[in-house]
Amino acid sequence: MSAPPYSYSYIFKYIIIGDMGVGKSCLLHQFTEKKFMSDCPHTIGVEFGTRIIEVCGQQIKLQIWDTAGQERFRAVTRSYYRGAAGALMVYDTTRRSTYNHLSSWLTDTRNLTNSSTVIFLIGNKSDLKDQRDVAYEEAKQFADENGLMFVEASAKTGDNVEEAFVETAKKIFQRIQDGRLDLNATESGVQHKPSQPGRTTLTDQSPKNTCTC
Amino acid sequence: MAENSKTNTDENSFWKKHIRTIPGRPSPKKVISSSNNNSSSTSFQNFKRSVDDVWDCGVADNEFANESNISLTDITICKTIAESAAINVINNHKIKTDDKSQLDILPMKHANKQNISFSKCNIIKNNNDDGTSKLSKFEALLQTNILELDELKKLSWSGVPHKIRADTWRLLAGYLPANIERRKEVLERKRLDYLNVVQQYYHTDRDEIFQDIYHQIHIDIPRMSPLITLFQQKTVQEIFERILFIWAIRHPASGYVQGINDLVTPFFVVFLQETLNDNDNLDRVDVSTISVDLRNNVEADSFWCLSKFLDSIQDNYIFAQLGIQHKVNQLKELIQRIDLTLHKHLLKHDIDYLQFSFRWMNNLLTRELPLRCSIRLWDTYLAESDSFASFQLYVCAAFLLHWRDKLLLEKDFQGLMIMLQNLPTQDWNDSDISMLVAEAYRLKFIFADAPNHLQTNCS
Repeated sequence: MSAPPYSYSYIFKYIIIGDMGVGKSCLLHQFTEKKFMSDCPHTIGVEFGTRIIEVCGQQIKLQIWDTAGQERFRAVTRSYYRGAAGALMVYDTTRRSTYNHLSSWLTDTRNLTNSSTVIFLIGNKSDLKDQRDVAYEEAKQFADENGLMFVEASAKTGDNVEEAFVETAKKIFQRIQDGRLDLNATESGVQHKPSQPGRTTLTDQSPKNTCTC
Repeated sequence: MAENSKTNTDENSFWKKHIRTIPGRPSPKKVISSSNNNSSSTSFQNFKRSVDDVWDCGVADNEFANESNISLTDITICKTIAESAAINVINNHKIKTDDKSQLDILPMKHANKQNISFSKCNIIKNNNDDGTSKLSKFEALLQTNILELDELKKLSWSGVPHKIRADTWRLLAGYLPANIERRKEVLERKRLDYLNVVQQYYHTDRDEIFQDIYHQIHIDIPRMSPLITLFQQKTVQEIFERILFIWAIRHPASGYVQGINDLVTPFFVVFLQETLNDNDNLDRVDVSTISVDLRNNVEADSFWCLSKFLDSIQDNYIFAQLGIQHKVNQLKELIQRIDLTLHKHLLKHDIDYLQFSFRWMNNLLTRELPLRCSIRLWDTYLAESDSFASFQLYVCAAFLLHWRDKLLLEKDFQGLMIMLQNLPTQDWNDSDISMLVAEAYRLKFIFADAPNHLQTNCS
């Protein structure tokens, strides 16, 4: 039996975090299925999703863990931070409390991931313009102060959803290229195209082209 | 083949943890000797012979005896039934395996196990086929002056007829007393108690901490079971909010945890159905048209039965959810003992048991099964009574093992993970659940601490 052919060069692991009901699962669903789930049941523990995208001419498979937002599940969801190359931190633009909790989510992320993990802040539900509770500028400032990438997005309309996932991947890819992300580190959250199922053994296959994106 | 026999040895060395022969436990040696025999019926008989000594020591294995309606002195009949069951099993099994002929690599030990487990299911099925006689047994039992609760548990374990399910559940949950004369009075008092608690804590200004709980429940409930229209009704959502809120404030160590709402559903649906006519479609019923009194009764009954039900699994929902973490580890150990091939397959592809079984434990499989199946599963859970917490572990093990052939065909992490999180149970019905719990029972019988189990029965 021959090893299955791989149609991608890298696997990037993502985690989606944030308060209950901010729309984490809907963002994932919109990204993987390009559909909006109007009433998705709350996530228990974690759920898994995946999609292959192209970044800088490379096929990249994203393996995404969507976590439960409820505090009680935190003990379990914390174990998924390790080994995440990208963390999508989500709040609800129509509920200030979900924005106020960002600093605690950020602390968790910084403590539990490695220094090369790319953190992307998403303000979801941007379609609900008349219910806005957090100004764009305020969140933008928070993101800048903490060195986070940031967009406002809508899982409902799909606005900026693709961008958030893809920009995170571009940033990870850049970090691989400029050497900030060590592919051989055990918990980098990135696997280079494996020659056989299992752990990456990257030696002489470092990407040659510089990303021009 | 060499690998298979090695696996056999590994597993049997576990079985022999308690070296002395235990009545009613399959003797490992005898099982090995039959494991290369391709005739399923022979291996079934071998198994039966290996455990026959259970009859000699006067230990009543009540579960088995009862399910098949066999008295202990009636061994001849027992054998006849067992053999005819075995034949049914083989036929059943043949049909079931027709579409997976490429899976001949299946280790024999596994095939044997399946046959044995099917035999019990068959008995259960036969009982179910004879629905009217089962119903009349239930009815007779429910009418006795002082209910034999153990009898009711045994009868309920393999499924409760729809018609008397609500009353049976109330009794199994310990909500209604055994004494038939006191039932009406107790029921009225408990329902009133609940209404008073709701008055006192729900319809008043809430403390800040209670307000947080309420808010969480309030935003959660509309997202519950989005595909079932019944749960989109405001009246129903309010009932759930009250039940969950009252439960949460009475259990401060856990509070409200997402998933508990799914555990209310079977109770609510069964008690609601009781108030409807047989031909009312549950999906089309407008709950707000039901009288307030009846609605209150459904709500109070759901609350009290849920409370009783959750008592033995409270550690699932406390800080860090230690109960679940513990059970996930137990599941992992169990699968390692039972099916090393599957266990290694999962590990090889970096699947962590927590990733898929956490939800199974947190929601007691309600997210993995259609509602009708959850209700059937509740019959058995309630009949297990206080030991249901440990039994659920074996149900999860049986559930995982049910998919083992499909899982072994998946060759990478994501294929496995997506399958494990979306197991195709849409077409499952009562008989699938009967098989599942029978297999769980078999696993528990073999792998749980059997000596204690037998001692309890002896005394």
